[in-house]
Amino acid sequence: MALATYLYLVYLFTPIALLLIGSVGQVWFNTLLPSGFTTEWYVQVANDGSFQRAFWTSLKVCALTCVIGAAVGMPLAYAIYRAASRKIRAAARIIYLLPIAVPPLVLAFGFVLVFSSDTLPFLGSLWVLVGGHLVLTLPYLLQTLIGDMRHLKLAEVELAAESLGAGGTRRFFDIVLPSLRHSLASGLITVAALSIGEFQLSNLVAGFLTRPYPVVLLQAFYGATGFACAATVVLLALALLASVGGALTARGAQGAYGAGA
Amino acid sequence: MNASDFTILLEGVTFTYPGTNIGVHDVNLGIRPGELLAVIGPSGCGKSTLLKIIAGFVQPSRGRVIIAGKDAAGIPPRERNIGIVFQSYTLFPHMTALENVAYPLKLRGQSAEAGRGMALDILGRVGLKDHVDKLPAQLSGGQQQRVALARALVFDPQALLLDEPLSALDAALRVEMRDEIRRLQRAHHIATMHITHDQEEALSMADRVAVMRDGRLVQVDAPKALYARPANHAVASFIGHANLWRGRIASETSVETPFGVLKTAPHGFATDTPIVVLVRPEKLAIGAAANGVNTLGGKVTRDRFLGSFRRFDFEVGGVTLLGETGDMAEITSVHIAPEAIQLLADHDGKTP
Repeated sequence: MALATYLYLVYLFTPIALLLIGSVGQVWFNTLLPSGFTTEWYVQVANDGSFQRAFWTSLKVCALTCVIGAAVGMPLAYAIYRAASRKIRAAARIIYLLPIAVPPLVLAFGFVLVFSSDTLPFLGSLWVLVGGHLVLTLPYLLQTLIGDMRHLKLAEVELAAESLGAGGTRRFFDIVLPSLRHSLASGLITVAALSIGEFQLSNLVAGFLTRPYPVVLLQAFYGATGFACAATVVLLALALLASVGGALTARGAQGAYGAGA
Repeated sequence: MNASDFTILLEGVTFTYPGTNIGVHDVNLGIRPGELLAVIGPSGCGKSTLLKIIAGFVQPSRGRVIIAGKDAAGIPPRERNIGIVFQSYTLFPHMTALENVAYPLKLRGQSAEAGRGMALDILGRVGLKDHVDKLPAQLSGGQQQRVALARALVFDPQALLLDEPLSALDAALRVEMRDEIRRLQRAHHIATMHITHDQEEALSMADRVAVMRDGRLVQVDAPKALYARPANHAVASFIGHANLWRGRIASETSVETPFGVLKTAPHGFATDTPIVVLVRPEKLAIGAAANGVNTLGGKVTRDRFLGSFRRFDFEVGGVTLLGETGDMAEITSVHIAPEAIQLLADHDGKTP
């Protein structure tokens, strides 16, 4: 049991360790480990215009996905949870889980068809990218939120609040939102991580100037090993950053909704 | 029933869930000021629906709900001023015990200080003085239910509704909480409806007990009266242990049972009427009667020792009788005093 765990951890962390080593190695050619130490690869990545742009694009898309996701996902999850009919709840569940079942490639092709038309010529814009990421990540957020609502028996908790004298709006802001703070945070961390790492859909939908980081990263693999390693380490850092950002968005959402009450 | 005698009065209340016959049918029931009324019945009998109707969560399709002399039709739950305690505690998970209890006061426009003072006071009275700043997740089940009780009482509601408040707690705590609820209910002199499926809970706590079955009230009476004079077979079997046999009236003072004719007190039923014969286990007297009346010979087939008393199965001519006694000696015969035999008209419980 312990051995299996250790083997798994080695399997998990070896690539990351090699990436870190490779990103500061001077020469790495036909040997197990690189030789020499340099920070040159990071400097190169930092000075590369397309990587710079991709870095900020990814952060922007991720932030917008989190913010819009929280704004849309919370009321949507609540509506699905509170839907009176069992059939409606089941139907809503199937529809909102569909993007997980459908390969992103299929979804992306749909986006390409719709947004390259003359009526909607928005392919390549940042907003189409954000829209795509929203569709892909919303199921995870909804799933987390609705699961928590069930776990908390929110409907009954609301009945209690109602009997104590709280009306609908009051209940939503005083009870529903704050009760869900933990699941909103974990849901948005998932959303942020998925958005930062998303490649399939982004690759097809992004324009030349709105390519997010993973799409640009692919090109690095055709160049020097050290450069590719350094560029990948940056993505890793970006993903961690995004997770923190997701958690912060959840806190921000609390504040925003709270201020509205 | 006069509306002014009751804090809560239900008049001919009917409600069925859409597309089913499940719900409550033509319920007439009143709760007097300061009274604790237990509503008891098997699950699905409509007792929780009754609570929802009083709380205003569902609207009766027929009949009236009168709260403190006023017809409650059209009054939303939040304006009914009724405290409710649910089975699943329903505390707000992000608020401390104190904030939970102070919440209804905040909604009523109390200042934060006054609300805090009142909440602290009532939390002290339910024995949670040292836990006021804890979140629900940090409290035990019993403590959470005390907070819920405090929260339902702090705003001085007109009535208190308890929806199986003890069924999520373990047995020892349940007994302790019964006394706690009763004590608080008395102190606040508040009309209370206590929904439960636990007959022991209902009998030990309530001033009156309403027995429900299939959406209808079967009998409403004081606990002792309910046990001594059940209206029908259903109530007799649901409240306490009982021997129930199908029988037939043999004469003015006797009844035929599956194991022979028993002498009864004069009963007034016509001869040959089909009847249900009820004998409570403690009415099975050990040994032969001095005058030999209703003496039954047989043998004990099961003997359950329960401390101060035993509950035994006594077989007479192929029929098993349930008995209870503090006498631990060997039993070879029992007798039943004619007055201890009750006859129930099985159809709707009306005695002649």
